Amino acid sequence: MIRPPALTLLAAVVAAAPLAAQLPPVKEHTLSNGMRVLLVERHDDPTIACGWMARVGSVNERPGITGLAHLFEHMMFKGTKTIGTRNANRDAELNEAQDRVQAQIREEMDRLRDRQRRGEIANFQDPAVRTPRLQQLLDQFDALVKEQRALVVKDEIWTIYAGAGGTGMNASTSQDVTQYIVTIPANKLELWAWLESDRLANPVFREFYSERNVVLEERKQTLESRPGGLVSEAFNAMTWMAHPYHWQIIGWPSDISQVTREQANEFFATYYAPNNITAILVGDFKADQVLPVIERYFGRIPANPKGVPPVITQEPVQPAEQRMIAFVETSPSVEVAFKTVAGLHRDAPALQVLASALSGSGGGMMRGGGGRASGRLGKSLVLEQKAALNASAFSRGQKYAGTFVLRATPAPGKRPEDVEPLLYAEVARIAKEGITEAELERAKNAYQMAQFARMDNNVAIRSVLTAAESAGTWRDLEEAPKRMMAVTREDVQRVARQYFAQENRSVLITLRKGKGGPRTRPNAPAVTPEVK
Amino acid sequence: MTARIVLALISGLVFAQAQALPSRPEALSFQPLVFQAPKARDFKAQLRNGIPAYLAPDPTGAPVIRLTVSWKGGGFLDPAGKEGLATLFGGQLAQGGTATRTPAQVEEALEQTAASITSGCGDTSGTLSLVCLEKDFESTFELFLELLQRPGFAADRLELAKRSQRQAMERRNDAVTSIAPAEMNRLLFGEHHHLGREATAAGLASITREDLQAFHNRLLHPANLMVTASGKFDRKALLARLNGSLGRLKAAAGAQVTPKVPTPEHARKPGLYVVDKAAPQAMVSWAFPGLRRSDPEWHAAFVMNQILGGGGFSSRLTRTIRSNEGLTYGVRTALGEGPHFRGDLAGSSQTSNKSVAYLLRLALGEMQKLKEAPVPEADLKLIKDAIIESFPARWSGKAAVVNTFAGEAQTGWPEDWWQDYRQKIQAVTAADVQKAARRLLDSSQVVILAVGRAAEIEAGDPDHPGALKDVLPLPLVRLPLRDPLTLQPLK
Repeated sequence: MIRPPALTLLAAVVAAAPLAAQLPPVKEHTLSNGMRVLLVERHDDPTIACGWMARVGSVNERPGITGLAHLFEHMMFKGTKTIGTRNANRDAELNEAQDRVQAQIREEMDRLRDRQRRGEIANFQDPAVRTPRLQQLLDQFDALVKEQRALVVKDEIWTIYAGAGGTGMNASTSQDVTQYIVTIPANKLELWAWLESDRLANPVFREFYSERNVVLEERKQTLESRPGGLVSEAFNAMTWMAHPYHWQIIGWPSDISQVTREQANEFFATYYAPNNITAILVGDFKADQVLPVIERYFGRIPANPKGVPPVITQEPVQPAEQRMIAFVETSPSVEVAFKTVAGLHRDAPALQVLASALSGSGGGMMRGGGGRASGRLGKSLVLEQKAALNASAFSRGQKYAGTFVLRATPAPGKRPEDVEPLLYAEVARIAKEGITEAELERAKNAYQMAQFARMDNNVAIRSVLTAAESAGTWRDLEEAPKRMMAVTREDVQRVARQYFAQENRSVLITLRKGKGGPRTRPNAPAVTPEVK
Repeated sequence: MTARIVLALISGLVFAQAQALPSRPEALSFQPLVFQAPKARDFKAQLRNGIPAYLAPDPTGAPVIRLTVSWKGGGFLDPAGKEGLATLFGGQLAQGGTATRTPAQVEEALEQTAASITSGCGDTSGTLSLVCLEKDFESTFELFLELLQRPGFAADRLELAKRSQRQAMERRNDAVTSIAPAEMNRLLFGEHHHLGREATAAGLASITREDLQAFHNRLLHPANLMVTASGKFDRKALLARLNGSLGRLKAAAGAQVTPKVPTPEHARKPGLYVVDKAAPQAMVSWAFPGLRRSDPEWHAAFVMNQILGGGGFSSRLTRTIRSNEGLTYGVRTALGEGPHFRGDLAGSSQTSNKSVAYLLRLALGEMQKLKEAPVPEADLKLIKDAIIESFPARWSGKAAVVNTFAGEAQTGWPEDWWQDYRQKIQAVTAADVQKAARRLLDSSQVVILAVGRAAEIEAGDPDHPGALKDVLPLPLVRLPLRDPLTLQPLK
């Protein structure tokens, strides 16, 4: 370490005062069934940002049920034994009848899938290849759905919240966490406790099979229709060869269309037990008044004594560079993903500073997206060499693993392959010379500013706490700024040397799909600087 | 948590668990919640040259200050042949440096304190905004004033922005979601109104630094400007600082009071329009002539639209098309407020190409129901409750409050609009909703556009027979894709 100790001290002193103000006081409580509760009182306006999160995401799936964590998020809006139906008994009978018919449908589909495997038919899901028996079963199923629909009270959870003044009702699924959120008027907390504990204690996954179609349309809209959407799915799958980050949150189409209610029930029992859940409330309430309400409603849900199985599969060390060349209806670009570390790993803050130095950490965003003119990539590739229209870097530490991504859009007349080595050269320069003291300080200042910006309203604070509870616990939020302020120039130089070897990278070259068909394969990229 | 609180909690728990839980949420009762709509006059001030200011100090919040100067004027002022000027101006105001500092010097100064200054300009207005720590306000505001009053529009940054814009232009035909809005605007407003005009590559290339300077000169008139600020500051001190700076601004030679936004003169042709684009999903959009927020029937029309397609999962379109039929991930309608001229009641959805016709029939069927019979009281109550009970959330955070008041003042809406808003919503009857539906959902006036695989869209779904041409007795018209650079129709 060559760094003068006085500077470290200075950085720590400067940091200490504002940091203390960043995280508002959090009250933490654990119910007898293991459910965690975080409460933050803020009395600015008469609303409460409510939410609960389950530590489950696509990372907890396996081939055959990919997309289930997300489909599940949709199912949680379908109601309970009380909510969402006019006749709970008949509704339950119809669900069972549907499951029986679906089991028979699956047998028929299994046969067709086998025929597809033998090449006798092209696509086992094509309506034209249905057997008469399959068609009959599908008609039988449709009749059951129609009968059930007459009993369904559509989207009743949503409707009750809306009528009570709820806003921002939503749910989201990531690789690592699923959350259910709503903002309610301050006097309606007990309504939230009633509805949310009911759907955890007594869920009914009605309309299960038709919801699979909604998700298939969602997949088409958010992934397949987007230029480059399918390519980014394939690139991600190439980058993660073994880890469950390999597949998209929305899942493979084959799995979405065939997942069963039985699989959903099993998933729920494993991952939606209270001992895998944290509830988070931010807003206008008194903690000592709401905790008894929460205990009363959520405390009735039994814990799952078996707990949650760990995610076993780890990404093996990548043995060779991986490269994908795609022709897409969009502008040409280059994207490089280096596998790094999880978000809580001790190297994560230094990687974040590295990304700041490369990409810029404040000031004006360059038009056209991605990267700032003040970062090394912007200064060098965009402004000086005029090789790119934009260039950026970011470090993405997820719960179990992470990537460091470099991206650039070549300037007119340049190819992605021309820009790619220039990206590596900037990392190599830092590996060789390190970053400057000014760059380090700027990255830390920008980090602090971002902390303030994401702490200025109820919804934002709830999101921050949710993210922290997903990867670890909210107490990590107290540690993270200290770890960031402790990063040294040597740390940044070390990570720039450690994670950017050629065999650790996956490269996506995107070329515009021309009118006269795809271009021929481009030349291999220029030799890139070795980083050791 | 202190030991005392824990004890209180435990005793509370014993008591709580002895009670049975209500069997339905309707059995719950709630303390009344009284919420007064904020008043513009509590936030408003005026600088000595007449520039209005909306200030929301937040003494207990994070030590951050946000300040924005907004101006009237934008894309509608672009000279013919130089479409895109306002957009470039909006980007370059903050990024092009100042008369005395290069862009790199500005960026360096901002990064030192992790402050940021950004700018942008839309069709009718634009903004220059700063965010900084309380302690860095003075130095950031100095820079901000320099950018606002003496921007540099550095040539190399302008060139880069033009190249990026040109590349964005090349992507115009890449997705149905970018083709559809542009084509719809041409159908609704015509190619001569600013909403229907788009930049061409030749026009973009012709825009010079002098054009940006002239655009800046004409806008920098006190009568065009407005200030908003929120965060950790003292109201009096900030007002004094603003009066000593922006308050001294005088209209220079070339400055003009921005004229009224022009009303479109285009004669709309109702019809079923199709653009052919190879895509896995089609985008279908529609627009009925709407009304302005100042219309006496606005509140009824707003409630009607929430019932139809503006109220998320409570909406009839979502229920029928998404929940029942699984045809789409989302379908929604929005009632335009018509800030400058009559708005539209517009909707859109993405669905399989073959499902477009079926989706439209379902949507039009729901509209027909709203016209034919009054909505049940329960449906009406739900939507009215949703609007009224969620009213406080609209004002969540001081920044939201001043932004609302400033935006509305810039448009020219009356200041007291929100004071009796809830009462006016409460007064809407089922008969009012039906009347609004009959007035607005006139299918002989609708423009429908589908972008996707044209042959599949026009043929419809064999499982739900009915071709696109049978959806409504309106002309079926194929529109060509446009060349993304020249906007000339492709063969």
